Amino acid sequence: MQQQPEAAVREKKYKWCERILVFTVIILFMRLFDLQILKGEEMRKLSEQNRVRIKKILAPRGTIFDKTGKILADTRPSFNLYIVPEDIKDFNQTVDGLAQLLDLDREDIIERLKDARDFPSSFPVKVESDMSMDQVAKVEANKFYLPGVVIQIEPKRNYAYGPMLSHALGYVSEISTEELKTAEYKKYSIGDNIGKFGLERMYEKYLRGVDGEKRVEVDASGKEVRTLDVKEPVSGHSLYLNIDMDVQTTVEKALEGRQGGAVVSDPRTGAVLALVSHPSFDPNQLTSGSREYWQKIAMDPSHPLQNRVTQGRFPPGSTFKPLVALAALEKGVINENTSFLCGGHFAFGGHVFKCWQKKGHGSVALHRGIVQSCDVFFYNVGLKTGVDTIHRMAETIGITKPTGIDLPGEKSGLVPSTEWKKRTTGEKWYEGETVSVAIGQGAVWLTPIGLMQLASFMGNEGVTFKPQIVNRIVSPQGKIVKVFEPVMAANAKLDKGHITLVKEGMKGVVNEPGGTAYSTAHIQNVSMSGKTGSAQSGTGGADHAWFIAFAPSDTPSVSMGILVEHGMHGASAAAPIAKAVAEVMFKEEKEEIKSVREGPPSRKSADMRLPGAPARVALR
Amino acid sequence: MHIDKRRLYHLDWYLILNGLALLAVGMVNLISATRSIDTGPYNLLLKQALAFLLGIAVLFLILAYDYRVIAGYARHFYVITLFFIVFVLIMGTIAGGAKRWLSVAGVAFQPSELMKPVMVLLLANMLHQRKKENEPLNLKDILLPLVYILIPCVLILKQPDLGTAVVILLSCFCMLWFVGLTKVTYLFLGIIGCGSVPVLWRFLMKPYQKMRILSLVNPDLDPSGYGYHSIQAKIAVGSGGLFGKGYLNGTQHKLHFIPEHHTDFIFTVFGEEWGFIGSVVLFLLFMSFIHRCVKISRNTMEPLGSTITFGVASIIFVQFTINILMAINLAPVVGIPLPFISYGGSSLISTIIGIALLLNVNMRRYMF
Repeated sequence: MQQQPEAAVREKKYKWCERILVFTVIILFMRLFDLQILKGEEMRKLSEQNRVRIKKILAPRGTIFDKTGKILADTRPSFNLYIVPEDIKDFNQTVDGLAQLLDLDREDIIERLKDARDFPSSFPVKVESDMSMDQVAKVEANKFYLPGVVIQIEPKRNYAYGPMLSHALGYVSEISTEELKTAEYKKYSIGDNIGKFGLERMYEKYLRGVDGEKRVEVDASGKEVRTLDVKEPVSGHSLYLNIDMDVQTTVEKALEGRQGGAVVSDPRTGAVLALVSHPSFDPNQLTSGSREYWQKIAMDPSHPLQNRVTQGRFPPGSTFKPLVALAALEKGVINENTSFLCGGHFAFGGHVFKCWQKKGHGSVALHRGIVQSCDVFFYNVGLKTGVDTIHRMAETIGITKPTGIDLPGEKSGLVPSTEWKKRTTGEKWYEGETVSVAIGQGAVWLTPIGLMQLASFMGNEGVTFKPQIVNRIVSPQGKIVKVFEPVMAANAKLDKGHITLVKEGMKGVVNEPGGTAYSTAHIQNVSMSGKTGSAQSGTGGADHAWFIAFAPSDTPSVSMGILVEHGMHGASAAAPIAKAVAEVMFKEEKEEIKSVREGPPSRKSADMRLPGAPARVALR
Repeated sequence: MHIDKRRLYHLDWYLILNGLALLAVGMVNLISATRSIDTGPYNLLLKQALAFLLGIAVLFLILAYDYRVIAGYARHFYVITLFFIVFVLIMGTIAGGAKRWLSVAGVAFQPSELMKPVMVLLLANMLHQRKKENEPLNLKDILLPLVYILIPCVLILKQPDLGTAVVILLSCFCMLWFVGLTKVTYLFLGIIGCGSVPVLWRFLMKPYQKMRILSLVNPDLDPSGYGYHSIQAKIAVGSGGLFGKGYLNGTQHKLHFIPEHHTDFIFTVFGEEWGFIGSVVLFLLFMSFIHRCVKISRNTMEPLGSTITFGVASIIFVQFTINILMAINLAPVVGIPLPFISYGGSSLISTIIGIALLLNVNMRRYMF
């Protein structure tokens, strides 16, 4: 069939070509216009986002020092493994490759990535902390095959003394997703380390510095090409503690291998010089996030995480007697010469209460009652005094409430009263119960720190101060940010004669040949006063061994509360610990006087010394 | 083999200058694009320059002979090129998951690129032999040519190189349209074409090729994977704004956000650095060049020459259009170079061969 002439057809086609050409170029123009002009700004921003990352610079945490400037907790570098979700090219390649290379748990990595979904995908997600150099080398060698994987060197908390003082210091670890949701941790982000226990937690606000940030330009695999600008981090404040590591070490060694708690303080200020709780734990392992270690100590039936000093409540046993004596004297139901006959037993209300000395003490008055810890004497005194008076004395001393020490989770002691019993059980108090209370058994539960306050009260003749571990907070530049002045707690108006009597009794416990602690706690250098206690544990097992003390007897500069769980006898188990402490504290008396004259060992300038420190010759 | 000096006066200088302009832009742009490549920027530039020189040599060779003579040997060229393609399929260097290159003495040679002008030559020849005056071709006429077209396309698809296969198919189709087919034939081709898409999809296309098409429609399908390149390209081009970020300042490709930025995505480099204004100028240059090619075809009375030149024009048009569409995220990512601009010796030589044919036809048009 003949169509139009070839040439005409051709012409038409050329015309079409032209139209198509123009049409195509216009389409391209339009798209270009859209992308470059209309969306130009937006695209530019996206291209910036591509290439600019904000990286956090972790601030070094404040250091914790003991009294003499020894470093207790500081930071050291650790190599941490991160994944940047945005930079992963092939999810399986990176995750599986990593899990295989370092023998990690694949599910764990995926879980962590899931948890981080609420954060921008350019945020690195921590996958493993504190890698060994071996692991670091492996990752670096294979970096090309693991896009998105990044190693960052970060400061890691290091506890120089390991498990010593761990309950007081606490530890630092990764913030949990639950904690992140609370108001307290609003400004924190995932992967941050926070104080989780002890002082690290109490003073988190001060210890944590302010993180810095740097804006960096990165390429498509997340590699830093250059730094655009930097905001330097601000280090955290340092804590200077009242703790003296020499005393701490002495107590730790003395309590080695046994369970219990011991606390030593300066009764003139409340400054805590040593705080020991066994069994202990190693905060370095908790800080490195070792899950096995956490499991181990969480499951340990002896509860290493419990701070026996502030949280362990035990029947005080005979250490309660000085309180009962004082209460009785103040009430006026006995005096210096009131005596009772101890034949080794005491019958009341259908029960027979025994004295620890089976053959009895004979005729006993107050002084000997304390010195030899005669139970029968106190059964009598207790009944005469009544539980409510005893309770009021305990209140006055301050042991029915928490002492207020600057550690989280302190539990208060319990000293019963008729009102208390009515309130909690609905029943009335039976006098027979007072008999037990009088020797620190029954419904009496005290913490070692509570009992230490009792000792301080006696030693100071009616005054106690709030126990404080932290002495001052110092900024990274060396300026004092906060000073913890002594805070008076109890201030009782006591009859001088009465308190002297009790004190004399406590002095005799250690220094008189018949005293229960004479053989085990008596020392030449200094006159120490104290009281032993051997309390029935009520849970089966041996008695708890207690010893409370203050020294020197007249104007004490040291007071202690020592508990050896299931130690059997206060005299044999606990008292020697006090002796060891006293020996350390008082033997270098001459050297201390010299060092006080020359000025305390301090690396910073003189304006850091505690203003208004006691002018007396301080024994550390 | 005598170069008639008079014919030199009939060289289309406009085309030559336009082509050189594009080449110059390509070289300058390549300097920026290759800066971030590890083998060293000037290494690639040197190779490109060498390819140019080689292309010029071939150009002179082609210009020396009447194009009809050359077209007479089209089948020979076809067979040789086909041989190389098969050779590559068996022995080729694998790069980026595809076997497209032959490495000869450190130089990568891509025979599929050569197939483009060779196919044009062959098809023009075959169609011209079958064409009767004033009558469009029918199905019978084009059956054998179709076979000739499909053989290399299938082989090239196996490399796998979807882009080059598409270019060859489309430019051949343009030529068929140009020469003229009966309505029935168009229908038939249409049905075959539509019918082969699902077949292609299921049997011949690789998963990543499918993903590329899917992610065009919905780039968020897998933003870190297949949609990634197109999104990054879009961002790069868009962030150029009106004036561009300035020569050598393209951050996106410098920081490796654009893969293949010196080949397939070369326009993103240009777009980011020269902005809207620069891109418009580049488009105008291309439009002018393609228009000129078509004009040559129009001005040629001799039907074979007219068809050959139209075929060359369509090659350049198809590559330009698809490459740009790819870079601005309106077409799926396929490996198609931007003529003159993309890095690639074989592509450059192939383009120059096309230009040589254009010039050849043009300067001999007064013989009729």
